[in-house]
Amino acid sequence: MRSLRIGLLLGLRQIQRASIWTTSLIIFVMMLTFLNLIAVSGILVGLIEGAEKAVRESALGDIVITELDGEDHILETESFIREIEAYPEIDTYSVRFSGSATLEANYKERRNLQNERDIAAVRVSGIDPHQEDTMTGLSDLVIEGEYLNPDEEGFILIGIYYIEEYAQQFGDVFESVAGVKPGDTVRLTLGDVSKEFVVKGLVQSKVDEVNLSTFIPEREFRRLFNRLDRNADQIVIRTVNPEDNAKIAASMEASGLTQFAKILTFEENLPKFLIDIKNTFNVLGTFIGSIGIVVASITIFIIIFINALSRRRHIGILKGIGIERQVIEIAYVAQAAFYALTGSFLGALLTYGFLVPYFDQNPIQFPFSDGILSADPEGTFYKFVILFVITLIAGFVPAWMIAKQNTLNAILGRK
Amino acid sequence: MPIIIAQNIHRTFGKEPLLTHVLRGVDITVEPGEFVAIMGKSGAGKSTFMYQLSVLDTPSSGHLIVDGTDVMSLSERERTTFRLNTLGYVFQDYALVPDLSARENVMMPLLMRGDYWQTATEKADAAIDSVGLEGKYQNLPAELSGGEQQRVAIARAIASAPKIIFADEPTANLDSISSKQVIDLLSDLNHTTGQTIVMVTHEREYALGANRILYMEDGVIVQEENLRPVHS
Repeated sequence: MRSLRIGLLLGLRQIQRASIWTTSLIIFVMMLTFLNLIAVSGILVGLIEGAEKAVRESALGDIVITELDGEDHILETESFIREIEAYPEIDTYSVRFSGSATLEANYKERRNLQNERDIAAVRVSGIDPHQEDTMTGLSDLVIEGEYLNPDEEGFILIGIYYIEEYAQQFGDVFESVAGVKPGDTVRLTLGDVSKEFVVKGLVQSKVDEVNLSTFIPEREFRRLFNRLDRNADQIVIRTVNPEDNAKIAASMEASGLTQFAKILTFEENLPKFLIDIKNTFNVLGTFIGSIGIVVASITIFIIIFINALSRRRHIGILKGIGIERQVIEIAYVAQAAFYALTGSFLGALLTYGFLVPYFDQNPIQFPFSDGILSADPEGTFYKFVILFVITLIAGFVPAWMIAKQNTLNAILGRK
Repeated sequence: MPIIIAQNIHRTFGKEPLLTHVLRGVDITVEPGEFVAIMGKSGAGKSTFMYQLSVLDTPSSGHLIVDGTDVMSLSERERTTFRLNTLGYVFQDYALVPDLSARENVMMPLLMRGDYWQTATEKADAAIDSVGLEGKYQNLPAELSGGEQQRVAIARAIASAPKIIFADEPTANLDSISSKQVIDLLSDLNHTTGQTIVMVTHEREYALGANRILYMEDGVIVQEENLRPVHS
């Protein structure tokens, strides 16, 4: 305790008397190291979290309801909907019908029947346009033309991956039709049944599920696909408070709704590979960030080493007058702790006070995600602890090396 | 009983064939309250001898008892504690910690000995006052003249009332006025508190305040001059 008190006094005084520019530079280096540690993995993880967020907002919501194993559709959909409408924790929902069909374009201009038809196998979603827009903001994703009007019939929205001009960047991955624009007429064919639609708009999203879908009003869907029982394929729900998802899903299960459909929270519905990628990115980011830690620890080592070396004589004198070696080591470790604490504090301030809100407002535009900076406080704390401990070691080693030298040699400046 | 008993002290540096004998079997006894000055030309071994007596260095061979303790058998850590509790030092170039104020420099050994902050502060201020530096408690070493710094070093050496004070050429970097003040301080200390002082100096004028002057040459004591008896 005595050694700690005197060591802290010595360390504090050394910091106080040091050049303000040198101290600022060291703190700046520590801040950058901390930011590097947080930001690299934060952006990598944020990339996936951004994708997750996009899927949650534009496609799946907070709770996803699908057909039971062995069933084709959600059973007793209308009763089911009446039940979920009674939940005050549910903010909004959208009922979806889905099926596969063939989309054909440019058939009116096709004069030679020997020529290939301009067709693509597509997924068709039957939606209530108003309900879907409230749930996922689908109208905001329209990049050409307009959104579906709930009072109109005979109109279709097409995801851009079905349009050759947009899909060609991916090569031949997606089947697509050429030159389709809003106002053009296209045809959906299911077996022997065909129906013409006027293209109302094209939709583009970070979520492939939207880009690889066509949307028509659910009434027309049921007629086209002969789905007279009104049993839907998917119901997506947005809750008032997403933290209550599990509780709401459990409550639905307790009400017996699981006999009609499978009820999963968004988190449960996440594919395992996405969780694996997120964890891998986190490890990768930490690994890359750890290079920064090595650089910072070497910096601290050099700074403390030079500092201790230049004060070697004073260290010798302190030992000479009876000050324990431990006190001197504590003094230098205290300095290293000060640099690590101040740098990390400023780094955390910058991260949570500026960078996280900034990237939330201005996400990095990746093809499949709006990249945000993910920095959960617990992870940040662990990284701080790692940085802090390594800095303390980097401060201790040079102090130990100098302080263990022969007292008289240190006093006389002998090697 | 003598406070220092040194018998047949040898100190060598390096290894054969480059072995250098700096001390060649030095004997000395110092009585409690005695003021001993060690003189000699450069390279005579006087500072090396003082480092052995002051437990800053370890003799290559011989016997050394300081304040009843066989210091040659102590571990490094025990030697540090022994120096803290028994000895005080005044170095040639003041040897103050530049980051600490005059008061904090003097407080260091006191705090290390376990004094509380307030007690250490009071003792440090009293020691600084006793060397004539009233009011300069907060000054950093860089804000003091050479003579003042050396007086702070003396204050540091005396604050914890050690049994022996070792002074290694304490006037070497000072002008004549400051040198006189420092020597007077040490003499007064010896007279008033009866503290044992061992001082290395080049200047006979400054050695005349001692009880005894030892002359060294080529690693041995060649002459001893008794100036006055030790105060009872």
